[in-house]
Amino acid sequence: MEKKQRRKKEQAEFYFDYSLLFIVLFLIGFGLVMIYSASSYTATSEFGDPAHFLKNQLAAAILGLIAMGIMAFVPQKWIAKSALFAYFASAILIVLVLSPLGVESHKARRWIRLPGIPFNLQPAEIAKLAVIILLAVVISKMGKKVSTWKGFGLIMAIPIPLAAMIYVITDNLSSAIIVMAIAAAMVFVASRDYKKFIVLGLVAIACAAGAVYIIKAGIFGGGFRGGRILAWLDPESYAKDQGFQTLQALYAIGSGGVWGKGLGQSMQKLSFIPESQNDMIFSIICEELGMFGAIAIILMFVLLIWRMMIIANNAPNLFSAMLVVGVIGHIAVQAVLNIAVVTNTIPNTGISLPFISYGGSSILFLLIEIGLVFNVARNIQLKEM
Amino acid sequence: MNLQFHRKKITVLAMLLSLMLLLLLVRIGYLICVKGDYYSEKATKLHERERDIKAARGRILDRNGTVLADNRLVCTVSVIHNQIENPMQVIDVLCRELGLSEEYVRKRVEKYTALERIQSNVDKETGDRIRDLDIAGIKVDEDYKRYYPYGDLASKVLGFTGGDNQGILGLEVTYEQILKGTDGQILTMTDAKGIEVLREGERRSEPIAGKDLVISLDRNIQTYAMQLAGQAMETKEATGVSILVMNPNNGELYAMVNYPEFNLNDPFTLSGALEETLSDTNTQDALNRMWRNGCINDTYEPGSTFKIITAAAGLEEGVVTKDSSFFCPGYVIVEDRKIRCHKIKGHGSEDFVHATMNSCNPVFVTVGLRLGVEKYCRYFEQFGLRTKTGIDLPGEASTIMHKQENMGDVELATVSFGQSFQITPIQLLTTVSSLINGGVRITPHFGIKSVDARGEEQIFHYSTREGIISGETSALLREILEKVVSEGGGKNGQVQGYRIGGKTATSQTLPRGSGKYIASFLGFAPADDPRVIALAIINNPKGVYYGGQIAAPIIRQLFENILPYLGIMEYNYE
Repeated sequence: MEKKQRRKKEQAEFYFDYSLLFIVLFLIGFGLVMIYSASSYTATSEFGDPAHFLKNQLAAAILGLIAMGIMAFVPQKWIAKSALFAYFASAILIVLVLSPLGVESHKARRWIRLPGIPFNLQPAEIAKLAVIILLAVVISKMGKKVSTWKGFGLIMAIPIPLAAMIYVITDNLSSAIIVMAIAAAMVFVASRDYKKFIVLGLVAIACAAGAVYIIKAGIFGGGFRGGRILAWLDPESYAKDQGFQTLQALYAIGSGGVWGKGLGQSMQKLSFIPESQNDMIFSIICEELGMFGAIAIILMFVLLIWRMMIIANNAPNLFSAMLVVGVIGHIAVQAVLNIAVVTNTIPNTGISLPFISYGGSSILFLLIEIGLVFNVARNIQLKEM
Repeated sequence: MNLQFHRKKITVLAMLLSLMLLLLLVRIGYLICVKGDYYSEKATKLHERERDIKAARGRILDRNGTVLADNRLVCTVSVIHNQIENPMQVIDVLCRELGLSEEYVRKRVEKYTALERIQSNVDKETGDRIRDLDIAGIKVDEDYKRYYPYGDLASKVLGFTGGDNQGILGLEVTYEQILKGTDGQILTMTDAKGIEVLREGERRSEPIAGKDLVISLDRNIQTYAMQLAGQAMETKEATGVSILVMNPNNGELYAMVNYPEFNLNDPFTLSGALEETLSDTNTQDALNRMWRNGCINDTYEPGSTFKIITAAAGLEEGVVTKDSSFFCPGYVIVEDRKIRCHKIKGHGSEDFVHATMNSCNPVFVTVGLRLGVEKYCRYFEQFGLRTKTGIDLPGEASTIMHKQENMGDVELATVSFGQSFQITPIQLLTTVSSLINGGVRITPHFGIKSVDARGEEQIFHYSTREGIISGETSALLREILEKVVSEGGGKNGQVQGYRIGGKTATSQTLPRGSGKYIASFLGFAPADDPRVIALAIINNPKGVYYGGQIAAPIIRQLFENILPYLGIMEYNYE
């Protein structure tokens, strides 16, 4: 009886972030519209159904929203207890890509087909979620040791096996980078000091600049990724191969102008940009909706970060705060990298725009992560606000 | 629990990430506002497909309106890979209609290209038949192809066109701008595979057909002159025969034959044999030789016909009159050289008129020497011999002549009877025309006017220069040259009932002693009021090689036929 009452009291006071829900729903809805706009032409010629990609994405989004709702109400203890299981499960799933369950698409083997799921599953997406949960558990148990170099090393070491597997087995550099970026964001928040991170940040930038310089000077052969860097520096000289996609995206952004050509009016989506509903969808947004479409999307992501920041700041304990930080890191880094790729600010690497790009696993696991954030928000005592 | 420093760090993290997003917004702004026009233009180029609509090339008509160069509508049959629905049917139809091998067609049908050409120059009926079958993926485009109804007639004058209907030789080159017209364009938007997207509709600009060119050539005269040249070539086993027919008063050319001619509808096939054995460069050289217009592209030593120029200069300067008396011992000594007359025994006593009739070398050497190098060169220049004639055909050769400061009496003596320098046949004809027409240097030409589709004419004007010689000298020259034909060396040029003036020439080609000659005859009629002037040149004749015996009869036969035709009958009959 007493227990029941307490739960009632808890429920009466629990915090529900409507703004966050609105932002997420807006991004998904906007994404569906843009997926339809970007893909209907090619979907008609390839599948005879202009809504082919829209339907798939809508199904994944509905599944994701259900999963989000469930996730919001799962007891946090269960989440913490499942951390190691999720970690190893995702590792196994990555290996399964090599099994007959694996699915190859777009010249890369990154997916697995599981019975009962309407889309191909990308284990890398599960790995991101697993890393967020496991690191939140580890950090919350570590205490002050996190701030030491040893603690830093330990936390950064945990995601490395997964990141390495993602890179080696599925040849997916961008997902590996994001897994490491999530860990970096979390350890940054968990640690007391700044110095270490500033130094490491500068070292990373110096290394990247050095690598670019070496490749540009042609000291080593460079290979596939070296070619991408050269194409990044001068996409028009590589217009036929590695610079093609980037250049087409730049054409789209440039030809949209400030006001855009109007929704549905993109020319570049007419198979000039291959699979324009995927990684390059932001360029179609710019072409059709212009500068203002770009501003709207970017502001929505900033608002999303801001809402999640407030939730993280008011989290009842370190574990739940770190969960939210992991999700912030994941979504924000992925959005930044995607837009940077599309605008040729960094070398091209296949990375999708959260909530908007086409991709079943991506939206499913992003919504599960948002579910985690709602879960944390639900546990905020309103008096603590 | 205390989350103080964590809160701060979370805020810093969120700010950092938001800042990165906002910086990317700046980058997007740069791409749109600064680079936007550049990328936009590139994108439009990518999306728009231009299809040229060929403009019809203007026709070339002779002075009587006979079409010498025309356009024929032909079709180009192509396949569009992406639009093919039934490859078997496409292959089947193309094999049957175009008579091509299945292997050839299959290879092209299965090739993944936007537009693969199967065959061009398909005649219109076949093209229409294929189009009427209306099979998805087959495209029939109409195109114009140059067509010359008379084959090899005036081939080196008219010239021909290349694959894009651009002029390659002759008048087709000179009048390219008038003939070619302006291509139209269809601009359509396409997707990446080249499939047209129905959106903004086609932008279309209509082609403007080229203008017709009317030339002074007369098909009948040209045809007859070509027959005569062909006969002479055959009977004399010559290497080439050229005939020029011109109006000496305005420079309009009635005919220009360079036998052997070539087939304008098949200009890349060598007329002679041996072609299989030739390498590519040799083949190109042989083609260039075949296309060469000797009347204007090549120079030669004119020989005795050039005595007309020496006579004109001498008479004009007054160093000789028609009654001046000379004595020809069969040679003349200039400095240390002994220059022979063609009559070894010599012509003995003769006046200037008879010396011209006899084509007596010593007399003309004497006249030349009386003028002296300086005056001779002044007349040479005044008559227009140093500059090109300005004929409206490409590639006119320049005169090859001694520099005045390098000229001694020996050089002067040889030039006086037409040796040791070179001019083009058209230069000789033009200069003589100017001397006998009363002293007006004319510009030889073919182009008379252009006519556009609405019938608007544009008449071409050519420069003339008056007073290069006095009217009296010109009249005297005509009189002497008439005597050459009526009583002198040009007897074979006589035409019953007409007064003909003229001069023969027989020159040995370099190197001397090779036994090769150029026989020529220059004639004009009527002698007292020239309306037509003609020059026949026979290169390397076998057997008899004297101009008076083999070249003069050609001009006689020509005049016998064309003088009545040209309506010059009212003269001469008393």
